[in-house]
Order: sequence, then C-alpha cells, then structure tokens
Amino acid sequence: MSLLELRGVCKTYVDAQGGQALLADGLDLLVPGGRIVAILGPSGSGKSTLLKMVAGLEPPDAGAIYFAGQDLAAVPPERRGFALMFQDFALFPHLDVVDNVAFGLVEQGLRRAVARERALQMLAVFGLHSHARQKVWRLSGGEQQRVALARALITQPRLLLLDEPFSALDAELRTRLRDEFSQRIAAAAITTVLVTHDEAEARAMAQQGFRLLQGRLLPLW
Amino acid sequence: MLRRFSVGNAPGHFGPARAWWWGVLPLGFLLLMVVAPLARLAVEALPDLQWAGISAMWQDDYLRWRVWWTVLQATLTCVAALALGLPLAWVLARFEFPGRVLALRLLMLPFVVPTLVAAIGVLALWGPRGMLSAWWGLDLQGTPWLLLYGNLFFNLCLVVRAGVEALEQVSAARVAAARSLGATPWRAFWRVQWPAILPWLVSATCLVFLYCFSGFGLALILGGQRYATVEVEIYTLVAHELRLAPAGALALGMALLTGAVAVLYAFVERRLATPGRADGVARRRPTGAWQWCAVVAGLASLFLLCGAPLLAIVVRAATAGEQVWAVLLDDETLPAVWNTLRFSALAVLLATLLGVAHAFAARRSVWLRAAAFLPFVVSPVTVAFGLLLLYPRWSASLPLLIGAYALLAYPFVANALGAALDHQPAHLAQVARTLGATPRRVFWRVTVPLVLPALRRGMAFAAATALGEFAVTLFLSRPEWATLTTLIYQRLGRPGGANRDAALVLAALLMLLALLAFVLIEQAPRRARVLAPVRGATNVPA
Repeated sequence: MSLLELRGVCKTYVDAQGGQALLADGLDLLVPGGRIVAILGPSGSGKSTLLKMVAGLEPPDAGAIYFAGQDLAAVPPERRGFALMFQDFALFPHLDVVDNVAFGLVEQGLRRAVARERALQMLAVFGLHSHARQKVWRLSGGEQQRVALARALITQPRLLLLDEPFSALDAELRTRLRDEFSQRIAAAAITTVLVTHDEAEARAMAQQGFRLLQGRLLPLW
Repeated sequence: MLRRFSVGNAPGHFGPARAWWWGVLPLGFLLLMVVAPLARLAVEALPDLQWAGISAMWQDDYLRWRVWWTVLQATLTCVAALALGLPLAWVLARFEFPGRVLALRLLMLPFVVPTLVAAIGVLALWGPRGMLSAWWGLDLQGTPWLLLYGNLFFNLCLVVRAGVEALEQVSAARVAAARSLGATPWRAFWRVQWPAILPWLVSATCLVFLYCFSGFGLALILGGQRYATVEVEIYTLVAHELRLAPAGALALGMALLTGAVAVLYAFVERRLATPGRADGVARRRPTGAWQWCAVVAGLASLFLLCGAPLLAIVVRAATAGEQVWAVLLDDETLPAVWNTLRFSALAVLLATLLGVAHAFAARRSVWLRAAAFLPFVVSPVTVAFGLLLLYPRWSASLPLLIGAYALLAYPFVANALGAALDHQPAHLAQVARTLGATPRRVFWRVTVPLVLPALRRGMAFAAATALGEFAVTLFLSRPEWATLTTLIYQRLGRPGGANRDAALVLAALLMLLALLAFVLIEQAPRRARVLAPVRGATNVPA
C-alpha cells in the first residue's frame, strides 16, 4: 500500500519578473512504505519544489497530497513529521554540532539536556562524537553532510526528503557517503524520496525511479 | 503578532508574512519628520521659488559661488578618493601582509568618528599652529585644502572598503580564463576585473558625493568664510540673518539634487544585489621591491589621510597640560557629557524600535526599503530647518530633539537588519519547520540569533551618529542642552589658545566615546561570519 500519494498536483512558478514556468502539471505519484524513490530531472524542472510541496513549505496550486491516507493540505510542516535535507545541508550556523542535531528533539518538547544527550548518542553512531562542540562551519563537507543526516534521522521522521544531498561533495566522497546513507536509511526503514540530477546516484540508492519532465513523472525503473 | 511567517522560495523569507502594518510606525515617523517639514519648507520658500526669485538668487555672485563651490568640492573629493582609493583597495585585496586585517578594521574608524572631531583633527594637524603646518611652515587657513583634506579623511575609507569588497567578488576563474585566452595581467584587469568592480565604485562615488555635498560640520569649521558650502549658508541665513525664504529655497534645491544622486545610487545598488562569487582571487605575499613599496606607500598614505588627524588630537590633547585637562570637570562639560549620553541613549532606543519595524515591513516592498534612505538623502540641516518651521512651539523640546536624532540614526538599524534578513538562507527556516518548529519558534530560535550581530552593528552605528550629532543640535537645542559637539564648537568660537586646547581635549573625549561604539561594531562581524561558510558547503573530503 502507498504511504505517500500525490494526486493531480499542479504548480506554476512565477518569478520576480512575472515569467511563468509549469513545474507540476497534474502530477501523480505513489510511494510505498519503506522504499526509496528517486525523482530525476534537470535543474529548474521543479524537483525541489515538489519536495517542498510534500514537506508543506509550498502549497500546490491544485491537487492533493496524502500521507498514510491523510490529506496533508491543512497540516503545517512542523506537524507532518517529515525531515528534509538540502543540497547545502542548511545547518544552523549559530549552533554547535550537538545543538544542531538536538534541534528537532527540543521542538518535539524534550528538555534541552535530554535532547543533547540523545544527540550525542546519535553523533557517536555517525562517528562525529569528537566534533560535538564544534561550530558547524569548522566541519568538512562530508562531516556537515553527516550532521545534517543525523539531525534528520534523530527525530525518527515518517518520511525523509533528500534534495540533491550529495551534489556539493566531490566524486569520491559522494560515492562513499551515498553507500553510507543507503545503509543508514535502510537500517532505519524510513520511506524516502530522493531528488537528484545524477542517474547513477539515483539507481544506486533507489528501488524506484521517475523522471520529472514538463510537469509530469515518467517511470524509469 | 508574529503568527504568520513565510518560508517561501526567495532567500531569507523568515519574517512575518503579513507585516505591512509594521511599516505604519516608521512611515508615520518619516511623514512627520521628513516629508511634512520638506513641504513646509516649500511653502516658506514659495516667494523665492518663482522664476524671478530663482533668477535673482542666481544673479547673486555670492550665492552662485556657494553653489558652485559646493558641487566642485564634492566632485574634487570624489576624484581624489577614487584616484587614491582604488590602488589602496588593490593592495589590501590582492596582497597578504602583516597588519592587513588590522588596516581593514581601522578603515571603519572614520565611519564612527564625529564630524567635529575630524575637523578638530585636521586643524590640529594643518590648522594655525598645527603639528605639520608649523613643521613645514605652511598656512592652510583660508585655503580649500583643509576642507578637501577633511572630506578625504571621511570618504577615502569608504571608497577603499567598497573597492576591497568589489575586488574580493571578482571571480578567479574568470580572470584565469582571460589569461588563458591570451590577456596580459593589465588586459585581464581592464576587460574582466574593471567591469566587475565598476558598479561598486560608482555606488561608492555616489555616496561620497552625497556626504560631501550635504556635509555641514566639516564645511562650517574648515571651510572658513570663502570655502563654506550651501549647508553652512542655509544655517547662516536661518540662525544669523533670519532670511527664511532664501534659506528654504536653497534647502529645497539641495534636497532635489541629493535626491537625484540618491536615485542614481539606488539604481547602481540594485545591480549589486546579485550573489557574490565564491571563488575569489587568492591573495599572495608581495614579492620584489616594487610590490613591497606599493604596500608601504598604501599604508603610509592611509595613515596620513585617515589616521594622522586622530593621532594629532591625542598627541595635542595629551600634551595640553593639566590646566587644560581641568576642562573635563568644569561646569559646562559635565552637563554636556550627561546630555550627550542621555540624548544618544534615548535616540538609540527610538532608532532601534523604528529600525526593527522598518526592516520587517520592508521585506517585500522595494519602496519601503528605499524609504529607509530618506533621512540620508535629506541633509540634517534641511531636516532641522524644516522641523523648526513646522513645529515652532516644539523647537526647543526634548521629544523633537530626540526624534530628530533618531531620524538620522535609525536608517543604520533598518539597513543593517534588512540586509541580515535578506542574507539568511531560506533553507534554514524551512529545515527548522520540518524539524517541528512552529513559525514563532523559527523566529526566536533561528532568525533572531542570526540577525542579532547585524542589529548590534546597526545600533552601534546609530549610537556613533547620535554621539556626534551636531547640525540638528545647533538648530533645535536649548542653551542648557549643550552636548559635547556644541560645546566644542562654542570653545572653537571663543578667542585664545586655551579655548582651542580645551576643544582638543573635549574632542579627545568625544572620540573615546565614539571608539566604544567602534569596538561594538568590530565585534559584530566575528559572529556574523557564521553565515558565510555554511551557505557554500565546502568540498573538503571527510
């Protein structure tokens, strides 16, 4: 049974100059629970906007998004229980590593000390325990990426949304982290939507793949 | 009140989404403190705004010279600041040498030094019995050089900082591509780097012109009878001759001209709003005698133009003797220090309130954003004169004085905060939302900590502005509300060397207060830098 379901989703992007681009044109997608689904497409095709609509950060112009049968239209992003990872990791620069990872737990209502303790445990799993008190800008690209994943996974999200998660990294590190991420996501059994322009990366990580073309999804595998 | 936020696609959409009403307070304030006084000025100047009146004013050799000289001294300063500033910026942006970072920090100093302190510094160096004029046997009193030197003190640093910033935005890859396509270093500069830095230089030149054109304190002290500017003339017409109609006509003309330059500045600034390049040209250690000479010459000229006047104040004040230092404890000084501090504190409080409201209101409106520059466009003399005409019964009241101080100071808060909000990556708020933070929590846990350094920076500039305020105080203050600046001016106007030395000591005290603001400003970037490295994630292997 599908866990995430997009039905007839439409979205038009209007830029500051008034130009329009059709990003989703009656788009349908079914994502079964526990699977990794990849969406491929060139830059500007609307992949990231699609993820933001699922996360609740952008409303669709038309259509509906369901998760576990529930229409998400009226559910704000913080109540959806999803985690979104960006290409630039979006770590909070004013917080150190452990507070970045603990951020979501504090928002879930945990006391800060408890949240930090859990975050330290998570960092230990990711091999980043020794970096806990560092500011995030002192970390390498790969370390920042791991912190971002740790921050996303610690809240035990119902759905993980990955937006070009490896594109800021060099080729060798990308391959290494891709394998590590696949294993960690599989271990956590989290349903995941990955958007990328790299087909090899998508095929290596996802059980199902689609291409976003002119606002519609074409199945690839 | 912060219930609705946007986490839209555009960078930095963190603030309240329907926040137009935040603009009511600053817009109402601008209406009462700038627009209405300007309209009142127009009414006052109506007799002189007829063709016959304008023609008569233009026939007046004295007034015509004032206008020409005002334009000329601003233009000369622009040319000199560019000619000296660009090579200096090149040295600071392209060479790595000991003291470079300190030099860059010290370039901020003139931005917080009150006008009157700068004028005293120039006099201490080049005025009658000045340190260098006595040494070299020069008498610059009554020449235009004192004013031009004072103008350069303030504006060279502005051009150098803009130049450094611009040169750091130049893409190393583009320069390398030009070189690999056969361009010599000079051709690569001319065809690749120059077009990239030109908008920055034009923008800085507009600002320099605005500052010099509408400057008051420097021209009043350093210009003397012959080389004073239109702003000084307006003050003289109002305060000494009570000829309000011609003063109003001049003030309106000045407002129109500065407005035109400000529009040009805004146009150029829009071009600069594109994201900077991450792959800047790497700095290298100077090699060879010529490059080291360039570094030494650059630092020496910076010191002579921007550091020496301040040092001269310190040296002259330190050697003034105990009798002169007693001025710090006399019956005039202590109330003036108290007035300076309390007026500044009240003004910064009001400026912060207005600046924060304006920054949030202006998130989605270009017009509102432009309105924050209005107090920069209209000179303090024009504002004070307009206020005097519009609110005669309030002319010596504390609320109007503090309001006028805050008017001049709050754009620093609004612009610093607005820029910080713009530069926040939208992804941070979006991630925080998906991690469970409500819009209110995003505001307090993400937005506020990230913009706090910028807010502090803006407040520090506002404090420096209020501490050194001079023109408005001359127009709107009561005798018993003398501040340090007006007291220095009074001392300068009294005969005798003792009064001049007392002015030097008071200027040193005012400089010390301004330096405290400077320290606050210089602490801010260290924390503000947190945004930069994360935005462009590094490619360093784990």
